Amino acid sequence: MDSRIIAGIGRRSLIKAGVALGALPLAAPAIIEARGETPVKIGMIDPLTGVYSAFAQSEVQGAQYAVASLNKSGGILGRQIELLVEDSANDVGTGVQKARKLIDRDQVNAIFGDVNSAIAYALSQVTNEKKVLQIVPGGHTDPITGKDCKWNVFRICNTTTMDATAISGTLLEKFGKRWFFITPDYAYGHTLQAAFVKNLKAAGGEYEGDMLPLSTSDFSATLIKARAYKPQVLLNNMGGQAQINCMKQFIQFGMNKEMALGGALFELESILSVPPEARSGWWDMEWWWDQPGVPHVAEFVAGIKAATNKPASARHWFGFVAIHTVKIAAEKAKSLDAIKMAHALEDEVLPPEVALQPGKIAYRAGDHELMANIFTGEVHPAKGSNPASVFTTAKLVPGEKAAGPVADTGCHMTFPSA
Amino acid sequence: MSTTTADTVFERPAQRSWLPTVAIWVVLLTVPLWLPWIGGYTALAGRVLVLGLAAMALNFLLGFTGVMSFGHAAYFGLGCYGTGLTLKYLSDSTPLAMLVGILLGGIAGTVFGALIVRRRGVYFAMVTIAFGQICYYVAYRWNSLTGGDDGLRGFQRQPLHIGNWIIDIQNNPVLFYYFIAAVFAVCIGLMAFLLRSPFGRTLLAIRENERRARFLGIPVERHIWLSFSISCFFTAAAGSLYALLNNFADPMTLHFTLSGEIVIMAVMGGMRAFWGPLVGAAVFVVLQDYISSMTVNWMSFIGLLFVLVVLFFPRGLLGFVRAYSEK
Repeated sequence: MDSRIIAGIGRRSLIKAGVALGALPLAAPAIIEARGETPVKIGMIDPLTGVYSAFAQSEVQGAQYAVASLNKSGGILGRQIELLVEDSANDVGTGVQKARKLIDRDQVNAIFGDVNSAIAYALSQVTNEKKVLQIVPGGHTDPITGKDCKWNVFRICNTTTMDATAISGTLLEKFGKRWFFITPDYAYGHTLQAAFVKNLKAAGGEYEGDMLPLSTSDFSATLIKARAYKPQVLLNNMGGQAQINCMKQFIQFGMNKEMALGGALFELESILSVPPEARSGWWDMEWWWDQPGVPHVAEFVAGIKAATNKPASARHWFGFVAIHTVKIAAEKAKSLDAIKMAHALEDEVLPPEVALQPGKIAYRAGDHELMANIFTGEVHPAKGSNPASVFTTAKLVPGEKAAGPVADTGCHMTFPSA
Repeated sequence: MSTTTADTVFERPAQRSWLPTVAIWVVLLTVPLWLPWIGGYTALAGRVLVLGLAAMALNFLLGFTGVMSFGHAAYFGLGCYGTGLTLKYLSDSTPLAMLVGILLGGIAGTVFGALIVRRRGVYFAMVTIAFGQICYYVAYRWNSLTGGDDGLRGFQRQPLHIGNWIIDIQNNPVLFYYFIAAVFAVCIGLMAFLLRSPFGRTLLAIRENERRARFLGIPVERHIWLSFSISCFFTAAAGSLYALLNNFADPMTLHFTLSGEIVIMAVMGGMRAFWGPLVGAAVFVVLQDYISSMTVNWMSFIGLLFVLVVLFFPRGLLGFVRAYSEK
């Protein structure tokens, strides 16, 4: 008798059975036991990989920070909050697929996303089709709360028009009317450059520029073109890692001695990743951590520092506000129904511990855009002992002023009949 | 001796039992009943079928004709855009949109194929990538028509009107799944029919020994061209379904990374087995779905699995199962 056969079962069968048993948990997720109270599920889709990964991580950390603190104090409607994070890989198709998964399989009560404007824009179509509340923490392109606005979509970050309008006057005044654009070739870049050009033309200025793929890493051809054009200011509209690479090459070429830098967004995460010589120019911040005398800000900054060991950025604030927005909506509507929550949010003023800035900050009913202040000012190498002191606010531009009236956005808000 | 080889190669499909086919169809048709119980959702099953069809279409070329294309995403993407653009700008008829998508991808494949078939091996593969990337950059840069990098939005699949009947594939995901399954059935039925015809046998002969086939007087280039063209038509059909599944089209559906993924599905599942690519697609899509929720490095796991499959089961997962059961 073959000694390897035990009780009629061969060694191979035994191994196979073992492997099959081991693989079982892979095939099906463990069935969740029935609980007295199911959590409020929030799906967050952000590009955790790709050029925007640093921003995406900050947004997720901001949201996780808010979830952790709210869950200690009763969550939303007395239920715990569960945050389901999905990577969109900075790819529109993947983002759309993840949204369908979160809605169809996980049955989330709200969707957040995405840093990438094009993905945020595409998600708004899916969430609208499925009637799920969507908060766009940090995707800036205009149509999301403009001509393609939807009843279920609310946005925290500014529109590209708001960002361009807030800084255009400063750039014209400080540097002059001859501009060169380096702009990413997708939704965000298209609307941002159009807004800048509109302001520049109104002032009688002239410009040239290049539209490049968002994942561009070599900018030498464009920088040579910019040098030949001799602009007074170079507007680097690229985002994330692309903007960082562009800045580094700008310094290597010695172009910082020939022209000024400026533009809409040069975010804290990016400033901290470029050499000190590139930390210059006049820019917008959509939220800034250094606001002496404004209540609750220091507490938030310390909380983020403790949780992540990083300085609090606008992206942290976006994620934080997004979670609180769902709480505010659900508790005012006393329901998690998307239509009721959307109605509840309209013109609802954020409490100071969420707004974390002066003034009355609310989601405008006409286009569902958060009318937050825009901090315009100068980026510089770190001052004093705090390495995050790289920006000095010169002016606070109120959101309504930068956005202009709802009629100009092209948004016609319509709700479905309930 | 050579006859024996030819016999085993040619006769195996005919000798095969009908049991696996029935089993696969029973599994596919009952998906909406059991999938939610194991944590899946119907759209995921739809994705498996769509990418499975694309992988099977590629396998028509790779597994049964013996030439490797690394540019099939182009025809998938063209099917996708053809359908999306028709629904958005021309007509709200789903069948018409699908027809346009299939024709767009298929005809592009036929035209490009005529230019590609004279190359072999690595040159063939590289030229297919080049043509694929042409399509990708056209879609990427033509912002006004295709939406560029943002993708094509603003269209929805429309209910089907058959006589007085209206089949609401727009709002009923289960009906839409069965619609995909029906299109899938028609496509793979046609493929199986073609493979069993004298034409299909000639393709196998070319795969086994191109030089001998040429000496026998078989017009090899023309056959490879036809096979490429047929494969592109079916790939475009899959792309067309993909547009309807997501109500969205984006340039990454044309990119060579998707071509690579389709090749991985076909090879992982088993490129000598008719159903192999479907198994590969199911494993790929389901793993991607589960693991990508847990870690952003999900691609490493797929890569690891692919390496393991190539090292230990060179005939793919299904090829391994079959070889084992025949022992």
